[in-house]
Amino acid sequence: MSQVSLHTRSGRLRLSVLGAVALAMFAALFARVWFLQIMSEQEFIEAAEGNRQRTIIELAPRGRILDAKGRVLVDNRPSIDVTIDRETVVKSVSTDELSDLFLRLATEISRTGQLTKVAEIEAAFDSDRFGPFAEVPVVRDISEDLQLYLAERSYEFPGVSTTVAMVRTYPYGTRAAHLLGYVGALNDAEEVAVREKPKNYQANDEIGKTGVELFYEDALRGTPGYKVVEIDRFNNIVDELENVEPVAGSDVQLSIDIDLQAMVEGELARGLELARQQGSKLVEGEGEVRFNAPAGAMVLLDPTDGSVLAMASHPTYDPALFVNGISESAFAELSDPGAHLPLLNRVIQGEYPPGSTFKPFTAYAALDTGLIGSRGILTVTSPYQDEGVYRIPNCTDDSCVFTNAGSDPLGPVDLRLALTLSSDVYFYNLAANFDRLAFDTDSVQQAATLFGFGAPTGVTLPSESGGRMPTPEQRRALHEENPEAFPFPDWRTGDTLNTAIGQGDVLATPLQIASAYSVIANGGTLYAPNLGRAVLDPITGEPELEFGSRIIRELYWPPEIRDPIWEGLAGVTTYNNGGKIGTAYQAFADVGFPHRSWPVAGKTGTSEKQSPGAPIADFALFAGYGPLPEPRYVAVTVLEEAGFGGDVAAPVVARVFERIANERVPEVLTEAERGARDAEAAAQFAQGDTGDDEAAAAGAGGEG
Amino acid sequence: MATVTNAKRARELNPRRDPLSPWLHIDLMLVLSSLALAVLGVAMVYSATRGTDPAAYDTTFLERQTIFVMVGIALMAGTALISYERLVAWAPLLYAGGIVGLIAVLAVGVERNGARSWFEVGQFQVQPSEFLKVAFIVALASYVRRIDGELSLRQLLAALAIGALPLALVMQQPDVGTALVYLAITMGVLLVGGARVRHIVVLTILGIGFAVLVWNSGVLQSYQQDRLLSFLDPASSQSEAAYQQTQAQIAIGSGGVTGRGYGEGGQTQGEFVPEQHTDFIFTVVGEELGFVGAALVLGLFGVLVWRTWRTAKKAADTFGALICVGVMTMIVFQMFQAVGMTVGIMPITGIPVPFLSYGGSSALTSFLGVGLVLNVHMRRYQVRR
Repeated sequence: MSQVSLHTRSGRLRLSVLGAVALAMFAALFARVWFLQIMSEQEFIEAAEGNRQRTIIELAPRGRILDAKGRVLVDNRPSIDVTIDRETVVKSVSTDELSDLFLRLATEISRTGQLTKVAEIEAAFDSDRFGPFAEVPVVRDISEDLQLYLAERSYEFPGVSTTVAMVRTYPYGTRAAHLLGYVGALNDAEEVAVREKPKNYQANDEIGKTGVELFYEDALRGTPGYKVVEIDRFNNIVDELENVEPVAGSDVQLSIDIDLQAMVEGELARGLELARQQGSKLVEGEGEVRFNAPAGAMVLLDPTDGSVLAMASHPTYDPALFVNGISESAFAELSDPGAHLPLLNRVIQGEYPPGSTFKPFTAYAALDTGLIGSRGILTVTSPYQDEGVYRIPNCTDDSCVFTNAGSDPLGPVDLRLALTLSSDVYFYNLAANFDRLAFDTDSVQQAATLFGFGAPTGVTLPSESGGRMPTPEQRRALHEENPEAFPFPDWRTGDTLNTAIGQGDVLATPLQIASAYSVIANGGTLYAPNLGRAVLDPITGEPELEFGSRIIRELYWPPEIRDPIWEGLAGVTTYNNGGKIGTAYQAFADVGFPHRSWPVAGKTGTSEKQSPGAPIADFALFAGYGPLPEPRYVAVTVLEEAGFGGDVAAPVVARVFERIANERVPEVLTEAERGARDAEAAAQFAQGDTGDDEAAAAGAGGEG
Repeated sequence: MATVTNAKRARELNPRRDPLSPWLHIDLMLVLSSLALAVLGVAMVYSATRGTDPAAYDTTFLERQTIFVMVGIALMAGTALISYERLVAWAPLLYAGGIVGLIAVLAVGVERNGARSWFEVGQFQVQPSEFLKVAFIVALASYVRRIDGELSLRQLLAALAIGALPLALVMQQPDVGTALVYLAITMGVLLVGGARVRHIVVLTILGIGFAVLVWNSGVLQSYQQDRLLSFLDPASSQSEAAYQQTQAQIAIGSGGVTGRGYGEGGQTQGEFVPEQHTDFIFTVVGEELGFVGAALVLGLFGVLVWRTWRTAKKAADTFGALICVGVMTMIVFQMFQAVGMTVGIMPITGIPVPFLSYGGSSALTSFLGVGLVLNVHMRRYQVRR
């Protein structure tokens, strides 16, 4: 008995200590299990679901963009991409093997003619846009042969596979690039924004960046389908829990007619080329000024409902560059001011002094307020002597002297002739009298604002500029904001004079001018221009949504106001009396315009743009509409640094209207059709039949 | 003692009703709790290994584990049969045999999961370090039992040497988890067996100092350090251990109160937790049977440990008591370590949960241990010296 030490007090105590330690361990486990299972159950249930449920996204094709006649302007095509599975690489490929893999991959791809650098593959593989277990696309758009080659040798390329993605394709090449816009991968800001949107955006999705692609993003985007599958630890699919089929995006039909669009683009480019051929001229006090004509814009509207028929901006770009991501250097080139910003859609983003194209709105202000009229300073028909120079009454300063372009005296002009011949002095007189007599000093601005100047037109395109309609308040605000650029805080009569002829601080986009002229053409209705006509079901082609015209306001537009303006503007293209001719008479005569069958009216503009550096040539503008008396077309063109509107801008519109009037708008071919036709022509040439080279080069194959 | 005298007299009168007869003192609670754990273990192993195809469930592990448990029960009965007193004579032999086994496994054993711990015997792998645990308990207890009162420094060092030899050999495999079990057994037996308090304090300080030294010496590879630390913050680590830890906690946590149902655990059926049928078997209990199942397992272990502790207290002699203490320490430590790592309060070291985990060596060793305790319990009125 004596040896039974555990029966001693010490032994029992020691055993109790051991028991207490054991008890503590049990208590710790019990508490922890309680915490995990009772306190945190929900959290872990979610974790477990996330763990074994994988959602596999199935991309839906993006809707197409169609022209007014249903021709496909933007389509989809498959792009075969090489992807590398990060999970496989991490688990079974060493660093050395990985660089060797990249090298072999780059070699194989380059061998097919698609030159690919190892560094590019590395950079793509390391992109932080993809998760640690993602399949990362490293090379896009490979050939089918290479796809087959890689599939056959999958053992040589661990983790490498190919996937097929849908990318944009442009059947008509660069045609309508600005208005169509392009798509690209979501950037960080967009990624945040799309979280609020339906249609299930994923981090690597593409989204419309500009133009129609952006504006109609919600309609164009397909709704991705998804499968929720249950997987085991080895990523084997054990069960399919949910399967939602992808839904293709809707087609968007535009009011654009691609034939008109192509012709307008071509005529704009030709107009700029002809402007450049003027070379240079000597300007008094400024030296030699070159007609660089680097850029321009043209828009064609239907004034009866505000729909956009064509919209061209020059220089342009190839939207195909953005397919599968544009290189940084290419994007930098497209964003270079030195290259005149090819990405800029000058029709809605270019802000120009409208120059004399603004005069009809000053005329409207004068007629509407009664400044011209039976009780005003002049009647519609009363002549006013244009001496070529105007001096503000009661003002002796040199700054109070305003001249016509070239200081040419035009002699006696009434309102109609003032428009036809573009008399600045006539309109200076109107402007000075607004300030002198008991009218609102901003009568001109008020009228112009009614026509939509100074505010975005509301066209169905993103990033539209609003132009500028200067007012005394605005001028003061601008001065306070930036005293160097706007040295004068106070509004002076001279400012009203400049405003009256669309100079000074007045800025307008070509679309604003076109929209305002539509009011003149349609008899008083200001529409918000529409580019989208309908959203169509991609399968049936049935309209899901149709966009009607949007009226912003109806203007006071009685015949007393309409007639003198219409007559004055009609004279611009037709007046030829006693050595005096309308400012665009020659331009329309040169193309043998069919005035009888398709009467046309318009207004030239030549505006000075302040340039910080060396003096630049004037901007040439023309706004026209026809056929009278019920115009269906309004055209506005602006040619930068190109000279007189009558010389260079009016001919562009004249040629466009002439083709429309004579129904000589060529049917434009897709790139594929062009390729086929060129091949045919080459074959014929080889046989000794030279064919019509010029017609082929102009892309005018529609007659055949 | 009067009771003993009375009992003796009773035995002389009628041996069949002898209150001292060992078979009348089987601790049923001990037996039943270990059997319940083993049966639950078989069921859990089956759920973890049968696969996902109901038409072709894999029953290999089920069958094997059933056999292991049955052999284990037989071993438990066999162990209980012969009085543990006789083990005193066999202790050196058992210990020496075990040491030979550990040396042999280093020479001719097979490597699995990076440790050379197994002999290949036909279809089975035998893990000598498991069986040696029982032999080691007997050997250590038999050495310490001879000392009445507190251990002198020499005696303490001798006892430590008995523990250090197998510990060093197991570390060679390397199998840190099992080595820690040896350490725990040694500490438990020495604590109860009479080590002086100041010796225990010094040993503890030395142990901590040694651990710090090893940690900073660069002996451990960084992945080993990562493995040991990742349980503190599994989310921060990319290692396999962190993955295992995270998945294990997800499995247990998602079980909730009543579990996902037997065979219904997504983590289990998707085999997200590596080694879920062996060292991580508790995740299966936690996920499929929930808090109820987990508490049941802990409760059964509680009963088992309590009965073992009680047997130690009531043992007829120090030897028996220390055997119980050794077995108790072994079971408590293994359970705490193996369950603790699945719930994220202990680092991951490869240790099976006694009775529950799949594996013959572990099952047999657990039953052997309980058999010894049973033996001591049955003979608590008998053993004299």
